[in-house]
Amino acid sequence: MIAIEDVSYSYAEKPVLNHLNATIEDGDFYAVMGANGCGKTTLLKLVAGLLKPTQGKVIVDGKEVGKYTARELAQKMALVRQQAQTDFEFSAFETVLMGRNPYQHHLQNESEADKKIVEECMRRTNTWHLREKKPYQMSGGELQRVMMARALAQQTPIVLLDEPISNLDIAHQFEIMDLLRTINREQRKTLLLVIHDLNMAWQYCDQLLLLNEGGICYQGSLKQGLTPERVEHVFGVNSSIAGDHLILSRK
Amino acid sequence: MLGSAQVGAVHFNWQELWQSAIFWNLRAPRILLAVLVGGALSVCGATYQSIFRNPLTDPYVLGISSGASLGAAIAILLGWQAYLWGVGSCALITGLLTILIIYRIASIGNRMHTTTLLLTGVCITFLISAIIAFLMVLNQDKMDSIIFWTMGSFATASWSDVAFVAPIVVVGTAVVLYYSRDLNLLLAGSETAQSLGVEVEKVKRILLIATTLMVAFCVSACGVIGFVGLVVPHCIRLVSGPDNRRVVPLAVLVGGLFLLLCDTLARTVLMPNELPVGSLTSLVGAPLFIYLLYKNKKGF
Repeated sequence: MIAIEDVSYSYAEKPVLNHLNATIEDGDFYAVMGANGCGKTTLLKLVAGLLKPTQGKVIVDGKEVGKYTARELAQKMALVRQQAQTDFEFSAFETVLMGRNPYQHHLQNESEADKKIVEECMRRTNTWHLREKKPYQMSGGELQRVMMARALAQQTPIVLLDEPISNLDIAHQFEIMDLLRTINREQRKTLLLVIHDLNMAWQYCDQLLLLNEGGICYQGSLKQGLTPERVEHVFGVNSSIAGDHLILSRK
Repeated sequence: MLGSAQVGAVHFNWQELWQSAIFWNLRAPRILLAVLVGGALSVCGATYQSIFRNPLTDPYVLGISSGASLGAAIAILLGWQAYLWGVGSCALITGLLTILIIYRIASIGNRMHTTTLLLTGVCITFLISAIIAFLMVLNQDKMDSIIFWTMGSFATASWSDVAFVAPIVVVGTAVVLYYSRDLNLLLAGSETAQSLGVEVEKVKRILLIATTLMVAFCVSACGVIGFVGLVVPHCIRLVSGPDNRRVVPLAVLVGGLFLLLCDTLARTVLMPNELPVGSLTSLVGAPLFIYLLYKNKKGF
């Protein structure tokens, strides 16, 4: 369980998030949404322990995030970042193998079991055939899937994802979303997904954390939460529902 | 190493070599010191490059070596070069002060930012070069020995230098080796490393202190020798890939032999005169480095 208690955060005196309160239950599949610059990524970093709240605290499984060691925290949650890093030449296999780091001690090499897990995660993300490739030999989408594989290799109950599908073509977007749904349903992983695509979120996510002007303006069931009034208020577009789809149009 | 021991202004056959004072008092410590310093500078270069995720980083870019050379210049002007450890300790103090200043400026806020750190290092290098140039103009009679120091040389190597440098190099290298997998993860960026279980700030601090000590001790013993820490890890990576668990141990070996080769050339090419080994490593290293940049633009 992730509990966000009265969390505020400012970048150099400029407030980004104000007095946030939210509770995320185990096994939930959350879409974190809001207009650009509303603090979605900041919220994710606060949960991941990469930023310290200026006020309040984030509690994961009964313990404040800042009180965990990096290693303990990396066994609890994995993070898939917005930009895939491309400036180093580890192969895709070596990159995914880094996901096993939280389970290894200094001077200890990866075991066969680790390599098995890596292979399995790479097969699930459809990246096994890329294992020998260097970052600059892969497309943005392939790299993103490698980063997904690394997060899976961490075998954490919580996965935080910061716009993991923004760089992908539509077929790969569905592939990743299907994969997320599978790991959520089958392995009961808690997913916090920052996503811009309202339609994708509508089709895949169960819960919604909607941010607006530094605060949470809605938390709960996504389908109930994305009312035409709210979509217009937060995103400034019109919306209607047709069957299982959300139709968006200009105001 | 044996080959290097045999060649020189005074030539020996193997039998004479083992009994000669020139070997035991001059060449043997000189060879050991060159190997130690070469290995240490290469390990430090590899470490800085991973921490700052910048293949162009090394002790010189960060200003640590020039910081140490300022202390040496001051000591020479004060007439302390008679005491071997006088120059050394001054270099050590200013070297450590430099990294402290760089670290302070660059770690404003909670975390260290690479760009700030590098820019601070470059500016400090400029500042210190200016101060040294100023000192040299004011004291033209001592210009030669200061220049010799800033170019780096093993000409004055002695057993006490070896004893001064060896323990720090051994311990420092062991520390870097211990954290070599964390270094790999740091290459993927601080935040990624943190989320993969590395105590990023702690590891960076430990590694920076260990490597800065190594650099300051090396500069104290033999002056500023450029490009070793830049070129050696780069060449190793071309062959072994970026994994620091391979790069760091290889850096000790290759760096040591590279600097020994340079020093052997430095003292034999213009026999009986000597070249400063720092100018030789730059002569070998700079073109090679430019070539590497040209050929392999991908960085790591």
